[in-house]
Amino acid sequence: MEHYSEPLNGVFQALADPTRRAVLGRLGQGPASISELARPFDMALPSFMKHVRLLEGSGLIRTRKQGRVRTCALEKAPFAAVEAWLDGQRAIWEGRTDRLEQFVTANVSEEETST
Amino acid sequence: MTAAFNPELDLTISRIIKAPRAAVWKAWTDRASFEQWWIPAPAKCRVIEMEVRPGGAMLTQMSENGGDFTPHLSACYLAVDPLERIVFTNALTGGWRPAEQPFMTAIVTLRDHPLGTDYAAHVMHKNNADRAMHEDLGFHDGWGAVTEQLAALVEGA
Repeated sequence: MEHYSEPLNGVFQALADPTRRAVLGRLGQGPASISELARPFDMALPSFMKHVRLLEGSGLIRTRKQGRVRTCALEKAPFAAVEAWLDGQRAIWEGRTDRLEQFVTANVSEEETST
Repeated sequence: MTAAFNPELDLTISRIIKAPRAAVWKAWTDRASFEQWWIPAPAKCRVIEMEVRPGGAMLTQMSENGGDFTPHLSACYLAVDPLERIVFTNALTGGWRPAEQPFMTAIVTLRDHPLGTDYAAHVMHKNNADRAMHEDLGFHDGWGAVTEQLAALVEGA
């Protein structure tokens, strides 16, 4: 559990601010450049960059510079952990079904040989 | 009544098991049989309660590495159709009492098949945020809201 607390603190901090939430919401529709992201906000670029860097530090987004344009995109990894949960449950149920099958078929063949 | 399948929250397992329905039914409803397969070896399973009727408790414990038995599953049977279907949920405990950390309802169905039993388990889960919170990431209550926000951002896209 400790393992998760540090990155999650970053996630929590990132989501605690309305500007950053709006940026995440925009990036949910697809990657965007910094200037495109900054446009709706009445804010100096250096201030806006602080928000971007905080989001990047939290692992929620990644940025990439191409020429003079820095593009931001949502990082899916924090969400992948949630998807992995269902895969984990599936593995548990597959295992249960394997053992159930093995258990009942072994019993059937025992009964067949004993009669 | 059949439950609709939600690919984001549900899973289904289906299999032809080469044993009669009665044998599969017994494996699900007989304590000693259930203990043999519910939990993977070498961990041991102990059935504390198994009242196979609607409202009945389904309570298991597990022991790993020969240690003390600790809670495993605490659930309540919702529907029991002999040799055909078992529905249970951990949203309730025995006697319909609401449970602390609900996240799952399972529907196990058995049908005749020329080779034995047509077996299916349909397992439905709560939303992603709660699942992650309770089961995987060790989130505490405050984090539930956070993951819900995350999910809302991504799913709203």
